[in-house]
Amino acid sequence: MVNAFAWFSQSGIVQGLILGAVLAFLTAILIMNAVGRAITTTASGWSAIRRCGQPGNGVLVRAACAKALPVVNVFEEAAYWTTTVDGSGQTLSGGHGYVLHFPAGKLPPNDAFWSLTPTDVVGYMVTNPTNRYSVGDRSPLARNADGSVDIYLQHQAPGTHEQNWLSTPSGKFKLMFRVYLPGAAILDGTYQLPRVVRAW
Amino acid sequence: MNRLVLKYGRPLTAVILAVFAWVIYRRIAGGDEIIPVAIAAAIVWGLGAPAFIYLWPRLTVSGYKRAILKHGFGDGPVPVNTLHAVPNTSSPSASRGSLMATGADDLLYVGGWLDLRKGPQVLHVPNMAGRYFSVQFTDPSKGANFAYVGKRTTGTGAGDYVLSAPGWKGTVPNGMTQIFSPTDSALVIGRVLVESDGDLPIAYALAKQIQLAPLKH
Repeated sequence: MVNAFAWFSQSGIVQGLILGAVLAFLTAILIMNAVGRAITTTASGWSAIRRCGQPGNGVLVRAACAKALPVVNVFEEAAYWTTTVDGSGQTLSGGHGYVLHFPAGKLPPNDAFWSLTPTDVVGYMVTNPTNRYSVGDRSPLARNADGSVDIYLQHQAPGTHEQNWLSTPSGKFKLMFRVYLPGAAILDGTYQLPRVVRAW
Repeated sequence: MNRLVLKYGRPLTAVILAVFAWVIYRRIAGGDEIIPVAIAAAIVWGLGAPAFIYLWPRLTVSGYKRAILKHGFGDGPVPVNTLHAVPNTSSPSASRGSLMATGADDLLYVGGWLDLRKGPQVLHVPNMAGRYFSVQFTDPSKGANFAYVGKRTTGTGAGDYVLSAPGWKGTVPNGMTQIFSPTDSALVIGRVLVESDGDLPIAYALAKQIQLAPLKH
């Protein structure tokens, strides 16, 4: 008995168990991240996962969703898009100014509301002096002469167009676009958000 | 904690792997046996990775369960079968690390943990008069949203919904709708639209009326 115990502690089995458990955890994370990427659809720089929260998802999709978007709404309840890059693939940064241009009649169709929120790269809102942390269907956004709407995304006040300005964090940031009760054109994939265009 | 892991996940992983490499190197250099270590590690690795993936949704939802029942939403623990309405929308100052920290700032959140082991519960929703709202029921084993009450699924009128566990054989009172829960517990997340700052008290008064109560016999 004592010999068995001595062998057990000398053999390194305990080390092996710890090693295996940590490797198993890291492998699980890698697999869930890979599945998460595989079920993410990206258009014009905006990424969304449409399959999360649905009963009937397989083990891998369930796990990938729990990791990427825990307890998220089903897509027909709320469509979520995120991006950390502009339309040309460059990382979003408070050192630049960006414009989101919705052509006339191309604001996202919905039966509830939509909103756009800048956050830090993890997803937390960052304090800004304007005390405005999102714009959406209830914001008094000015329309251009042709009926289109431009949203200005930059850290400092733009000087003009302040009505359509949303202050971004000063460093790298993430944009979250929510459409609750998305319309048919979003559900069937024909509607796409416009690119985030870097203005300067 | 979560935030740190998200931010420093890669360097942390690199450090852990470097420590492992060093431990293995020391064993080999010291002339100790490496085979038992390798076999034990391989077995645990091979069985553990699928186990983690299978259990991940359950671990995630139990994180919410623990947070709700032990800490609540800033006003103390929320007992089972009680829904707590958070009085404010999400903001940078609204307690980081709280359940709604990454939430939308146009919604009031309502949260609670449903436990049907002692019998069915009745979800009451007030008349929302066209206002967007939803109550999401999430299965703790799969992380799937098995039912919704709200504008999309049931409309915005007042209503009472009987949530029953698998195998419950009672009768549903007239005027109530039955929702079959696939498990005997569930995470409940409610959302109520806030139209504007001035609308906040009205939205909060409605959110507080979304409540659970035991089914009376």
